[in-house]
Amino acid sequence: MPKAPTAEMLKGTLDLMVLRTLELQPLHGIAIADRIHQVTKGTFDVGPGSLFPALHRLEREGWIDGEWRMSDEGRRTRAYTLTASGRRQLAIEKKNWARIVAAVGQVLDLA
Amino acid sequence: MRSFRHLRYRLRAILRRDAIDRELDDELAAWIAALTARYERRGWTRGAARTRALADLGRLERVRDDMRSAQPTRQLEGFMQDLKYAWRSLVRTPAFTLAVILTFALGIGANTAIFSVVNAMLIAPLPYQDSSQLVFVWSDMTAAGYPRAPLSAPELTDLRTRSTRFAGFGAIWANTTTLTDRGEPEQLRIGLVTSDFFGVLGASAAIGRTFQSSDDTDGPGILLSWPLFQRRFGGDRSIVGTRIQANGQSVTVIGIMPADFRLLMPTDAAVPDDLQAWQLLRAAGLARAPRGQQYLRVVGRMKPGVPLAAARADVTSIAAAISREFVEYGADGRQFTVVGLQADGVREIRPALLALFAGVGLLLVVACVNVTNLLLARAAARDQETGLRLTLGAGRWRLARQCLAEGLVVAALGAAAGMFVGWLGLRGLLLLRPAGLQRLGLAHVDTTVLAFTCAAACFWGLACSLAPLRSLLRTNVLQVLRRDGQRVARVLHRRTRASLAVLQVALGVVLLVGAGLMVRTVVNIQRIDPGFTADGILTFRLSVPFSRYRSREAANAFGQQFRETLAATPGVSGVGAISHLPYDDVPNWGGQYVVAPDADRTKAPNADYRVVTPGFFEEVGATLIEGRFIAVEDVASAAPVVVVDDLLARRAWPGQSALGRSLIVDPGSSGVPTVPVTVVGVVRHLRLRSLVEDLTEQVYFSAEQVPRNPLAYVVKTTGDPAALVGPIRAELARLDPLTPIYDVRPFSTYVREAAAGRRFTMTLAACFAGVATLLASVGVYGVMAYSVTRRRREFGVRLALGAMPRQVAGAVLGEGAVLAAIGIAIGVVGARAAAQALRHQFFGVTPSDPLTYALVIPALGLVLILACWLPARRATSGTPMDALNDA
Repeated sequence: MPKAPTAEMLKGTLDLMVLRTLELQPLHGIAIADRIHQVTKGTFDVGPGSLFPALHRLEREGWIDGEWRMSDEGRRTRAYTLTASGRRQLAIEKKNWARIVAAVGQVLDLA
Repeated sequence: MRSFRHLRYRLRAILRRDAIDRELDDELAAWIAALTARYERRGWTRGAARTRALADLGRLERVRDDMRSAQPTRQLEGFMQDLKYAWRSLVRTPAFTLAVILTFALGIGANTAIFSVVNAMLIAPLPYQDSSQLVFVWSDMTAAGYPRAPLSAPELTDLRTRSTRFAGFGAIWANTTTLTDRGEPEQLRIGLVTSDFFGVLGASAAIGRTFQSSDDTDGPGILLSWPLFQRRFGGDRSIVGTRIQANGQSVTVIGIMPADFRLLMPTDAAVPDDLQAWQLLRAAGLARAPRGQQYLRVVGRMKPGVPLAAARADVTSIAAAISREFVEYGADGRQFTVVGLQADGVREIRPALLALFAGVGLLLVVACVNVTNLLLARAAARDQETGLRLTLGAGRWRLARQCLAEGLVVAALGAAAGMFVGWLGLRGLLLLRPAGLQRLGLAHVDTTVLAFTCAAACFWGLACSLAPLRSLLRTNVLQVLRRDGQRVARVLHRRTRASLAVLQVALGVVLLVGAGLMVRTVVNIQRIDPGFTADGILTFRLSVPFSRYRSREAANAFGQQFRETLAATPGVSGVGAISHLPYDDVPNWGGQYVVAPDADRTKAPNADYRVVTPGFFEEVGATLIEGRFIAVEDVASAAPVVVVDDLLARRAWPGQSALGRSLIVDPGSSGVPTVPVTVVGVVRHLRLRSLVEDLTEQVYFSAEQVPRNPLAYVVKTTGDPAALVGPIRAELARLDPLTPIYDVRPFSTYVREAAAGRRFTMTLAACFAGVATLLASVGVYGVMAYSVTRRRREFGVRLALGAMPRQVAGAVLGEGAVLAAIGIAIGVVGARAAAQALRHQFFGVTPSDPLTYALVIPALGLVLILACWLPARRATSGTPMDALNDA
């Protein structure tokens, strides 16, 4: 069975996925992990141990903005919103990713 | 927008660290709660759900730590923490800390004090505009015994008209004048200057103006110093432009010089720095002066950009030209020396000052070696802790940072304490200040000095912390953790420390030998017999106002009457007067003398001229070799007579009596000896110009035959000289209420000040040597004490096996003796080299003076043995069992 890529290996990828997920709607931490799990059909299972520091890193860069809210279950959670500069960053990272995919694709075709 | 958010985040991170921590905790708690709730929904029990949630989150603490250290401010905070940690560990060991800081403070403080002096005297420019362009011109008459003589007025004119590299030349001559305006008559020290003197110097007046060329033809003017303006005229600015009475003449006050104006001429130029007023040397008067009348102290200003060498060449060619043109100079011609005004002012003190600076630098090295030793000892004690921390995963960089933090805290505390010590030291130095060192008065702790101190403290703080660092980076974790492995690191420490102690001992020897030679020098100087005794004599000066005593007879009569009045004053046992007091700042007076009327007068030898009244030689205890002293019969109308010193008598008439011989001299300073006089006595040479080097022949005239003004009176007293000042003033006021006496001082102060420069150096050198000895013995003590602690187990075994305590103590002493011996051997070599470089500072003692070395080395050895003895005694104290259990 192929190993699932770890978040460690794909640090840049994690940022990209978080930003993309938040582009659609503001979410709190666990919801972000759930959404990634769901969208990638289980390929990426981001543990809280990786996601938590990543969220803080992105917030420090000013790409996302954290805010305390009440969840549907009546719990205090911190919800994250994509900021304008985060949107710009997402565009850049999308382009980078496309380039990487194309490049890796070429290498694979060649082989 | 983004950068603003960034900034806000950082600010919040720094200012509200706790709040952020709380938020992190809150968020983590929220995650755990959410995850727990999720697992509960899937049917887990509450406890199991929570355990699972925590496991999901990974190692909670690590997550949080990672996040914290990811914050950029954490680096800085980490270092702040190191500083705090360093501070706390220093506070925990107050004795260690105090020792380190005191050592540092001593070293840094001494450097701060000496550096402020070096800064004021050698580095800071003279307080004149573009002062680097200023030079002083001497007439080089080395052949006649005056390597640094003043110039004559025609020579000043030659320089002005012929030079191409100079913007101008100004001249000054110190004199006195009597101020009779308002209140008590007062004798002022004034400078007679050419109209362009202040312009050349680049100094301007605070109120009014300085002299200008129109003053040469206008009515007489006077420029006042700030202190005189404040004291005599109450700081009343309206005085400028009004007339005051000086020397019986009405003169206009043209300006006031600033409060901080100082006239910083070379010490031997005889221009005091505390002149009270300035008047003009009129151009018309200068134009009439003969070429041989040398009294002008000449300051030149080079044109901008002209280097000193070019200016020198310019002046040298002028000297060569006038030597050819004027027969007065004879075959030898005239030579001028051009020296930078700043460099010349500190000519004599410069080597001593640099030596002191080097000495105090050595002291700092010694002090820092001690600090390093202490820190090393501490690092050694911490090997275990360090090894443990390394094993637990602490980064070496982090441990190194801690070492640096400790060094910095120590340096900062040491610098602060050192600054205070330096300030105290500087005040002490200023109290000791010899009168000749005018610029020393300008020394103070300014930004340059502060920058120097901080730089020195930082440098040495880092240097001190580097030594433990080096061994830290070499520490092998396994070796340290295995107890026996400690030896590697410790041997390293020990070797470093031992060589540092050797260095200290060597430096101590250098400083001690230097101080010893200085002490011998001062003792030798004090042993010089100047040819007179200064005890119990009060001196003061009095200037006969020629404006009111116009004829020579009237002036002589006044002088005679005054001396008689003085002699009759109760408490006075004898009275005399002379034109110059020993080592005072009155310009020297001298001229040539010839023995035969047909001799070549351009090659005639020079002599110092003095006039004396009857009684002078008797009162100062001069030794009569043959004939008689100047006496009451040597009046103006009698045949002109002189008394000469034994040097002149021996040189002029070797092996014969000088009595009744004829001598042709030049008391009028015309430049050519023309006045025949008869020798009536020979007196033993009086060292009047310099205690150490004065070996110029002397001619003493009778004051009535060769009038000089002012005269310095010497009053021999039976009791306290100071008590006579009041009665003398009262007697004089009865005789002439308009004539003041001034410079009232005991005769002995002149003699004391003559040796003050060297005594100053000696005191400082002795202080340094004392401190260095102390530090060196502390250093040796530290090494030995540490060695004994380390070898306790070994000593215990040896004692248990039956070694005598004496043998064990002997082993320790022997180890110390080796250190001391190596240090002393190196030190002796260094001391000889240093003393050789400084030999001009010494008098009557060679750089390799055996007595000094023979005294200094055993003394230092004794102190060092004492420093070893204490640890040696500890090595044998207690029972062998104690030692074995301890170790």
